[in-house]
Amino acid sequence: MEMLLMGMCVAVFGMGIAAVAFGAATRSETSDSAVQPALSLVKADAAAHFFSDRVAAPPTVPPAPTWAVPIEVLLLQIENHVRMEQAAAESFVAYPTHALLHSKTSSPFVN
Amino acid sequence: MTHELLNGLSSDEAEQVLKLGTRLIVPSGAELFRLGDHADRLFLTERGRIRLTLPMQVRGREEDIFVEERSPGQTVGWSALIPPYRFTLTATAPLLEAVVIALPREALREYLAANPAAGYKIALNLAVVIGHRLQMFQTMWLREMQRTVEVRSA
Repeated sequence: MEMLLMGMCVAVFGMGIAAVAFGAATRSETSDSAVQPALSLVKADAAAHFFSDRVAAPPTVPPAPTWAVPIEVLLLQIENHVRMEQAAAESFVAYPTHALLHSKTSSPFVN
Repeated sequence: MTHELLNGLSSDEAEQVLKLGTRLIVPSGAELFRLGDHADRLFLTERGRIRLTLPMQVRGREEDIFVEERSPGQTVGWSALIPPYRFTLTATAPLLEAVVIALPREALREYLAANPAAGYKIALNLAVVIGHRLQMFQTMWLREMQRTVEVRSA
């Protein structure tokens, strides 16, 4: 009888400790998310990467491309190309032949 | 000054047509018309040059790309005579100012209706202008396509 009562006391004591530990664990989680809203943002971001714990780097603006040829020069090249193609087309229209139609251009824009 | 649109007309007929128009000075760099504008006037180039351009995306921004240049005696803006009467190119005077004769569509139509013999000649001249443009662009298009095919087949 005494053994049974002692066992029940130990069981009740154990359940009490488990309940206190559970309550403490739950309380600390809610308070953390309230204090650190940024953390939940990181978690959401990380969740987007399936099977990956790595936090994504913040998006960076790609640097403006640097072109070898300035746009003014490029536009001039296009204009010269159009003029050369017009001259070729004029020759074809004046005297239509397969050779004139398919004559190669020396335009640097396409060569 | 001989205008391609008035080829074959007597001097009296040509004079009558020119009297329908108004002489306009287009300062250097100024636009005569823009792509999409309502086209209610046809232009005969008298002096200087008119540069025709089309918009093209170059490196992410829109640029007016040279299409062709019209010299004194040549016709500009025949969209004024063809539905839906909207300009399909942009016309500007390049380095030097240009002088054009602007012929209003309605006045020209009335003249052509009242003078069918002159109207027939003008219609044929207009067909030559439009036909030449078509042949030129057809040829240029095919040459560009040929290059594209060669690049893709390489």
